[in-house]
Formats: sequence, structure tokens, C-alpha cells
Amino acid sequence: MRIHDLDGLHDIRRTGMMKILPGKPRIGVGMGTCGIGNGARDVMNSLAEALKKQSVDAQLTPVGCFGFCAVEPLVSVHIPGFPLVVLSQVAPDDAAMIVKAIASNRPPVEKALCKIEEWDHLTGHVMYGRGLPDLPNWNEIPFFKNQKKIVLRDCGLINPEDIEEYIAVGGYHAFYQATQKPNVNEIVEEVKKSKLRGRGGAGYPTGVKWDLLRKAVADQKYIICNADEGDPGAYMNRNEIESDPHMLIEGMLIGAFAMGATQGIVYLRAEYPLAVHRLKRAVAEAREFGLIGEHVFGTNFNFDIKLIEGAGAFVCGEETAMIESLEGRAGRPHPRPPFPAQKGLWGKPTNINNVETWCNVPVIIARGGSWFAEIGTTHSSGTKVFSLVGKIKNTGLVELPLGTPLKSVIYDIGQGSPDGKRVKAVQSGGPSGGCIPATHFDVAIDYESLAQIGAIMGSGGMVVMDEDNCMVDVARYFVEFSHSESCGKCVPCRAGLEQALRILKKITGGSAEESDIQDLEELAQMIKEMSLCGLGQTAPNPVLTTLRYFRRDYEEHLRTRRCRAGVCEKLFLSPCENSCPLHMRIPEFLELTKRGRIADAAEMIWLDNPLPGSTGRICQHPCESQCRRKSVDAPVNMREVHRFISDQIFAGPLLAEIKMRLAGRRMAATGKKIAIVGAGPSGLSAAFYLALLGHDVTVFEAREEAGGMLLYSLPQYRLPKAVLRLELDVIESLGVKFCFNQKLAAGVSLDVLEVENDAVFLATGTWKAMTAGIPGEESPSVWHAIHFLEQVARKEPTNIGKKVIVIGGGNAAVDSARTALRLGCDVTIAYRRERQDMPAIAEEVDDAQAEGVKLMFLVSPQRVVSDERSRITGIELMRTKLGDFNLDGRRRPVSSGETIIVPCDNIILAIGERPDVEPLRRSGIHVRENDTAAADWVTYETNRPYVFAGGDLVTGASNVSSTMATGKNAARAIDGILTGQDHFADLLKTVDVPQVVPAEPEGGARHTSPELPADQRKSHFEETILGLTKENAIAESSRCLRCDVHEPCAVKG
Amino acid sequence: MPKIIKLKISGMEFTANEGSTILDLARANSIFIPTLCNFKGLSNVGACRLCMIEIRGVPRLLPACATLVAEGMDVTVDSPKVTKYRKMILELLFAERNHVCAVCVSNGHCELQSLAQQLGVNHTRYPYRYPIYKYDASHPKFNYDANRCILCTRCMRACEEVEGARTWNVMGRGINSMMVTDLNQPWGQSLSCTSCSKCVHVCPTGALSEKNCAVGEMMPRKNVIPYLTSMRYSGR
Repeated sequence: MRIHDLDGLHDIRRTGMMKILPGKPRIGVGMGTCGIGNGARDVMNSLAEALKKQSVDAQLTPVGCFGFCAVEPLVSVHIPGFPLVVLSQVAPDDAAMIVKAIASNRPPVEKALCKIEEWDHLTGHVMYGRGLPDLPNWNEIPFFKNQKKIVLRDCGLINPEDIEEYIAVGGYHAFYQATQKPNVNEIVEEVKKSKLRGRGGAGYPTGVKWDLLRKAVADQKYIICNADEGDPGAYMNRNEIESDPHMLIEGMLIGAFAMGATQGIVYLRAEYPLAVHRLKRAVAEAREFGLIGEHVFGTNFNFDIKLIEGAGAFVCGEETAMIESLEGRAGRPHPRPPFPAQKGLWGKPTNINNVETWCNVPVIIARGGSWFAEIGTTHSSGTKVFSLVGKIKNTGLVELPLGTPLKSVIYDIGQGSPDGKRVKAVQSGGPSGGCIPATHFDVAIDYESLAQIGAIMGSGGMVVMDEDNCMVDVARYFVEFSHSESCGKCVPCRAGLEQALRILKKITGGSAEESDIQDLEELAQMIKEMSLCGLGQTAPNPVLTTLRYFRRDYEEHLRTRRCRAGVCEKLFLSPCENSCPLHMRIPEFLELTKRGRIADAAEMIWLDNPLPGSTGRICQHPCESQCRRKSVDAPVNMREVHRFISDQIFAGPLLAEIKMRLAGRRMAATGKKIAIVGAGPSGLSAAFYLALLGHDVTVFEAREEAGGMLLYSLPQYRLPKAVLRLELDVIESLGVKFCFNQKLAAGVSLDVLEVENDAVFLATGTWKAMTAGIPGEESPSVWHAIHFLEQVARKEPTNIGKKVIVIGGGNAAVDSARTALRLGCDVTIAYRRERQDMPAIAEEVDDAQAEGVKLMFLVSPQRVVSDERSRITGIELMRTKLGDFNLDGRRRPVSSGETIIVPCDNIILAIGERPDVEPLRRSGIHVRENDTAAADWVTYETNRPYVFAGGDLVTGASNVSSTMATGKNAARAIDGILTGQDHFADLLKTVDVPQVVPAEPEGGARHTSPELPADQRKSHFEETILGLTKENAIAESSRCLRCDVHEPCAVKG
Repeated sequence: MPKIIKLKISGMEFTANEGSTILDLARANSIFIPTLCNFKGLSNVGACRLCMIEIRGVPRLLPACATLVAEGMDVTVDSPKVTKYRKMILELLFAERNHVCAVCVSNGHCELQSLAQQLGVNHTRYPYRYPIYKYDASHPKFNYDANRCILCTRCMRACEEVEGARTWNVMGRGINSMMVTDLNQPWGQSLSCTSCSKCVHVCPTGALSEKNCAVGEMMPRKNVIPYLTSMRYSGR
């Protein structure tokens, strides 16, 4: 079957095309390693069986991978006259249906993902057929929309084990063209013109490299294909070889011809058995067809390709180490010069290029260097294949023009995180690359831009991470990888990575000191600058980039001994405890509740959280999103059990006992006086703990009662005032004194407080409403949510009117809406994004809707419409649409130009609150740009000695548990500074809790609290959620899986 | 006649033959650049990274041992940065294995020790690893103490390139790299070793020593290899 000339090639082209368009149905099954791993072989077998059974005449053929890994196995079906239809997630059971559809001459659209009407193979063209208007074209679905397939031009469409199909789509024609050039220099010039750069990661101009070898004078020259792909999370090269091995061979043939090499070597990972098999087969086929061998196409060109299987050492991807390995020695790099182009394999001039670099070559020759150079950016031309993996919905192989912004890969193609969590970072380039934080996702993907932010292009692995990934642990993981792959030759990499890994393990193990960060940073920088080869020079990148962009993660591990992501297991008890801002010992109080030890459970709860009744009702419960019971059925209803316990205490004689137990814990009086300004949740928490620690605490409050936002902003139907008053009573019983009607600066001056006290804690909250900046908002019928809610809470008349529009999507918006509804209004919430984007607690939105609150989405306020007597008649809203992704991963609402006027008589703006920082500024306390007090994030110290600040004043408007946590942590810091000791561990010590892991999940399905029916609750302010019954609370408690018990199999008790 | 190259080292002008390295030139002119793996007469491996230098206009540090002189180069051999890094490398070496000078046969004749003294390394910021390594005293004439080895591979190169015996090699990788004789057999049982002692006399530390040496008594004859190789080249 030897091909001697162009006619021979054309003959094969015709035979090949008869295989791709056989004039009868053709079924292609994606049989890459990825497809087979997902069951493609079973699909293939059942299809074969079904064809036989239903006696359908169709061609069944394995093809490569089309790239969309998330929906494997992929099957393509082409029926003459129709477009090629790509089916996704095909199971063996679907075979009968597919074959049945084919038998009735109809594409099986039931499982269809997309259609392909025609395909530009770049070297050739296939017209499948038009039709099926209801099915999206392949490049209309998000995953493929922004992709450009150059390297992956044939992948998933042709049979990789059939050279004729490759030739059918124009394969080996570029090689033929190259051999016909009068001067081989033209080929090198064409590659130079294309501005192709090395796809292995370093980005050296390929044409320049080729020129070096072309000019080298020697009796023997070698070209090598680097297919030693070994980065965790990267599988581009594997797929390129598995799906289209001939494009690699053709690329190498052209290169060999241009550079005058007679021997080619593919150094391929032995761990890629399918790629090895297919490439071997492809080489044999090419030899059989006379494309490899002697006198190819009748010229004097002789060339052979040898396949060497690498033993899997990462360092052998480094070219000098690879040469050592090929020569039969251990893979250890050596210094350059001499460069391989001067003295390479067996001392002969050698050129080494990555798989993907070679794969681009046939297209460059076929379509011209300038065609290629126009794709991508000026300095980074062409496309790059990336393997998109990790916490991303659409995993797969993505080929993009260089210069595409990273966010388009993550949000448009990848569609963000699969479970709605926020994407935190992307690790690009594997162990040699860096972590790019979400705030830098607008970076363009090209060699220079990525290098600028500390990452590298690398070979193309992209691992997406979300908030459940600990960046310190990520750095540890990659350093551990490089450490174990280090060849050991040069000292910085061998001994330096050992020490860097030791420091990282200290940090993730919770035993690091603050100086360790600096040591780590210096060491990493030294290793980067001093190492011998690419492995050592890039191994510190994960450390350096995480230190640069996620320093807070490191500091958290050091200063608070916490791993927020819940990865470093020595630094938290259980996922729920870790996600709770107050770090409540949730599994333990559940265990006590399960055993009926309500008083013990209550004592523990109080010690962790001094406002258990309030938080038990209104907390955002981040614990539930982390609960591992979710993987069995549904998360444990921790908040409701928590509320149940506090309700039990408040309902009966146990209250006195809890007060007594807490009073008994009060430490010996220290004689230190502490003033707290603001009796909101943060101030109250600080007061509670400081009183327990034996200090003399006075709380100054601007209003006439304690409780802050809980009292004046939270509606009675969510949090009955009586509950809050009982909680305050407990705090007061510990000796906390209250001074009401004392506003900071006006009533009580910081200077005086400072003199009279040993420490001052400021927690004045966020009581300044933000304005919308729209004309007419100064009207008295335009309310700010907090003012409206406060007026209702004070039971003052509001005269709110009949038809109310609430602007906003947070909890304040929903609270205002439901409150206005209870005052007899017709209420609509208008929000500029969509429902899933609302920051309010989801259950609250459901409840509001059930009660009759109407929701409008994708609208933003433009102006208030009034009549001639300045009475509001409506609000003009701009319809928005969701445009680009913001750097926080949400779509930006952009105006559509279309406005509507919604009639109403009152408007409530619930668009956020800010702290009033003027009094602080006047007292010389540093204030941040966003109008919050500048305080240390662990100790809450301000720039003024012994003055601390916490709560929303520091964090901006947040939620009750987070703001209480600042008070709790500040109390610990204040006590520490005043006494020089940390008493917290002692203070929080409680009864022993049985450490038993249930052998099987217990407790049945999730228990929820009964709720008043919507029609019964919407007309009054009585509490709507009634709380768990005792039986249900105990059953719910037993659903806990006890993730806090760390010893395996600790079944005792 | 090789081409003459003009360049600057530490601000002073020098001339050098084309093809020579910056380290060659510095040594010929008594400019101090610390090295541990480089050894006159043996091939260059660029492994210790102590000879890293700065060249004006080059963004990266380069090893003096493997960088050829070029016209107009402006070389700085002891910038604060490379001095700091060199110290770190010495500290890493001291922390890596068990270097206890007080009981070492090479005390006073040790290149690692004297470099530390020259660069002012008097402690290490990294904790000692205290690995447990073998002491191979099976050879009738020499001892091999892996605790004192810094993996410079001079022994391996002397054995391979000058003696031609290839007794020494590196086993394992990364932090677990280890110099071994034959296929990790006791040195005394090595079939390839000619007992020529070249490895012993190129060892920069006390890892390889002659038998019957007490503390400080191992006096390596470092001029043997340069002499042999220069004889070999001049005889060609």
C-alpha cells in the first residue's frame, strides 16, 4: 500500500472518505482512555449487539475523544442526509434505542448534545448534512462556544487507528507539500512566520529552535517528541496521541525533513498504555504506507520513528534529563550549554518539542504561517489545549485561541463550580505553575500575562478550586509532588524542597510559628533562582503564588490555628464546627441532646454562643452546607436542634440552673474594667465572655434597650422579643452593667472611656442606610429598610400605604417585605439579578413568596415617579440582563434600555447599610476606605492602644453569627492583653462527651420544624416557625455522623 | 589561536580565551567564587549551585562553572543576593546530613567547613534532619561515611572519567539520593573498584577517607587528578 506520490495520496484519500461518509449510517464511539473509563467499551459492545439483533446495516467505529469529559461516554451518529449528531452520557442500555432510531432513518436526538453540519479539519473538509433545526450546533453550546479546534481538529471525528481516515481529512498532504519545496529553509521560515511557541510550557519560539538544528552540521541529527506528560491534572498530550496519532507523526515528519534529521524518537509515558498502543500502530501504518522509511515520496528523505516508553519520572520532561534517560542513564538534567541543538542525544544535534507543538505543524504548513499567526495574540499565536478539571461543572479538554481571558474558560466554558460554591482559584501549569485567584480571572491566557502574575502556561493543566480548597494544602501538595520527583542532583531543589515541605507540613499541622512564613518565602525564592533545571526553578511557584494571593490563608493557619476550608484536619474538629463563625461544638451538643442531657447540652451551647435562642432562629447556618450527612440524605438540621435546646431552657426551671452553672464558671475577679460601646450581638458576646473571665464590664448603648439589630431590625415573627430579653437576662446575671441612651461622641466620649477603663470595645454596628442615588428618593414615602423595620419594632405607626415596592435581595429586603405584608400592604420585591443570586436565606424567600410577596427579577431602580402633589405613584425600573461575569463569579447586571413603571405608593430601599464612622475618625481611630473601622482581624485591636473594635463596624454589614464571633474573639484578645494569659480553653471546658461514631447512619430522614400555614401567619407578627418537638429534636440529633471523632473506629461508650 | 574575549568581573577588566568559563577566569585571577561540586580535571555538573553569579542585563542568576565568557559581559560574583543564597545552600547542606566537625577525619581539611567559615555561616536556620545512614568500612583501605556526603559526585566522576572503573553511582532520587558502590554492595566487595584512591582524594568532606585516620588526620591530595588529566591532554 506504499504511497509514492500525490496521486497515491489522493487514492487513499478517496478510500478514507468512503469510511467517514460510507453512504450508510456511521456510529462513532469516543474511545479515548476517558471514554473507556466512563464505560465506552460497554456502549460499543451493546451497540454492536443491537445492530446485529435489529439487523441494521451501519458502520460502528471507535473514534477519539471529542473533549467534553463531563458528559462521557460520547457517541456520534451520522445518517446520510442529516448532520452528525453527538450524543452524550450514553449508557449501554441506550444502544437499542439508538439503533432503533437509526433503523428508522432518524437521528437519535433523545440523547443528543449537539449537531455538526460540516467540519473544517483545516487540512480538509467534511460536509455531513444540514437539518435538525431544534438541535444546537456544536459551537452554540457553552462548552464549545469559545473554543477553536486546531490541534484537536480531528479528535473525536476520525478513527485514530486508521491511517486512511486521517488521510481522508487531508492528512499527510502538508507533509507532501513540504517535501516538494525547493528549499527546506522555506519550511522553517513558515514555522517562524507562524510565531508558534513551544507548547510544553516554556514558550520558546519553535521556528528559531528548528533553525538551530537545521544549521547544525553533523552526520546524524535527532528529533524528539516530548510526550512525558506528568503533571497532576493534565492529559492533553495523552488525548492528542490517543485521538489523532498521525498528526503527531506528520508534524515530526515535516520537522525531520526541514531540519535534516533521520531519526525521530517519541518519549512517551508508559502509564499511557492506550496512547502507546495507538502510536505504535500509527507508526506501523505510516511505515506500511511508505510515509516513514527510505525514499519517502520518491525523495532522498529517510526517516524512522522509535517509541521509547518513559518510566514515569517527572523530571524526564526536562530535555537534558530526557536525553540522559534515552541514553540509558538515570534521568538527571545537566547544565546548558551545551544545548541539545549543539550536543544532544548521543552527542549529536537534537531538537526536542512537545507533542502539541508537533501537532500544530501540519496545519501551519497546510494553511500557511501567516494564517496561524493571526490566531491568538501578537506574541502568543495559535491556540492551546487545556485540561479543565477540578471543581468545575464542565470538565474536559478545551482548546482556545491564546489571549482568551481566563474567566471565559472558568465561567463560560466551564460554567463555574458544580455545586454553586464560589470558585476561589485556578492552578495553572501543574506543580510548576501558580495559583491564580478569582480576582485575577480577567488575565489573558498567554505566556507573558500568566508569567506576570506568577503562574505559567505550563503544558496546559488547569485545576479549578473552590472555597473548600485550602491554599496552603494545595501548596503543600504540589511541593510534596516536586519534592518526591526531584532528581536530587542540585542542592536547592534536593535539600531546599525538603525544608520547604517541612515548613508547609508544620503550617498545615498547626505547629508553625509566624517566622515560618518568611523562612518559607525566602527559601522558595532561593530555590526558584538557584536550581539547575526547570523542575527546581518552578517548583516553588505554587508556594510563591499562594503566598502572594492567599496570604490570609497562611496567616489563618498560623494565628488562629484554623483551616477555613476544612482541609487541614489537625486544625478543626468537624466541618460544621469549622464553618460556624462561633465554632460551636455542634456534634457534641447533638450527642448530649441525643442522650437527653439537655442541661449539659445547654451549658455547652451557652459557652459557645451567648445568644442561643436568637441564633437558633435567624442564623444563616453555614454548618448545613458543610454537613457530611448530606452525602447520605440531607444535612442535619443543626440550627433547629440548637433552638430547641434554648427553648427548653427558657420554658422551664432549667433556666435557673443554667444561670447558676454559668455563674459558677465565672473566674476570679481581675479588677480590670472594660467598657463596651454598642449592645448589639457583637457587644453582647464580648460582654458575656469578659464577664465570665472575671472582668468588670459596662455596656454603653445609644438606644433605650439592648439587642441592637436583633431588637430593632429583626421582625418579631422571626425573632420574638421575649426570647432576646431572656438571653439578655442571662448576660446581666453574670454582672454585666448596661448604660442606655449613651451615644458615642454625643453622650459618651471615647477619651473618657479610655481613662476610666482598662480597655474599650467598640461595636456600634451599621446604622447608616445606603442610598440608591435615584431622583426622588428623598421623598418621605421612600423608606430605608432599617428605619422602617425599627419603626415597626418600636410599634410606632408607619402609614406605609397599600402598595409597596422593596428594592434589594438581601435579608433586610425580605424582612421588610414580609413586615409590610403583615401591615396589610401588597408587596413586591424588585431585585437586579436572579433568584439564585439573592443573598437572603433561601428559606426566607420561599416563606415570603408563600405568604404572597411577589418577586421581580432583573430590574434596577431608575427614578421615583410622583404626581403633582409630590405623592409617589410608582417607580421606574430598568430591565437588566445578566452580562459578563464579575470577578466574584456572578454575572454583572447590565441595563437593557427598556424601562417599566410599576405603580406603588411606598418604596423601601434595602440596598445595604454602613457604619457611622465619623465619631471614630474624630477620635483618631483609623478607618478603611469602605467606611469600616481598621482593626486587626484576629485580635480586633485598633491603632489606639487598648481600644478594640468589632462587629459590623469592622466587617461591614454581615450576619449575626459572624458579628458575634468578632465579639467573642475580641474578648479573648482583650483578656489576653490585660492578664497576659489565655483563659479561653479553661473557660470553655465542659463535661466529657461520649466519643462514639454511629456504626450506621441513624435518625431517619431530616426533621423540620412545623410552620404556621402561610394564610394563618401573614396577618400578624406571631412567630411563624414553631420549633422541633422533643422526639424530633432527639431523633434529629442522632442523625449526626460525628465527624469530630478523629480516631478511626473509636467505638466505645 | 583561540579568540580573546574581553569582559568585566567585579568592575575589573579581564581577557579570556573563548570557550573558557567564568569560573576558569575567576580562578586564574584569584577571584573567589565558592564551589563544591566543581573540580579541576573532572567534568562539570553544575550541581552545588554555589557558584551562581549575576551578569548585568541577564534576569537570571547563572552558574559560573557552566557559563562561557562572552564579549562585554559585566559579571558580579558576590552581590548581596547571591551571597545570601550561598549561605542558605551551605545551611541546607549542614542540615541535610550529619556533619559533625568535632569528630570528623577531615576536620580542618574540609571544603564544606572552610566555605562555611569564609562565608560566615555559623548556624543553620533549618532544623537538622538527623538521618540515619550507613558507615561502610568494608573496604580494606578506605572508609565511606554517607553521613558526611554532600552528593557533589566528584568521586563518581573521578572513578568514571579518570580511572574508568565506574564503581560509584547515585542511587535513588531527591532527598533520598545516595552514593553507592557497584549496585549498592559493600565497597569492600566491589568487583569494579581498583582501590586507586582517586575518589578519596577528591572528596570535599570526610565522607571518603583513608583508613586509620583519627580526627583531622585525613589529608586529601587534591592535585592528583588535575595532574593526571593535564598530562593526558598534553599527551594527546
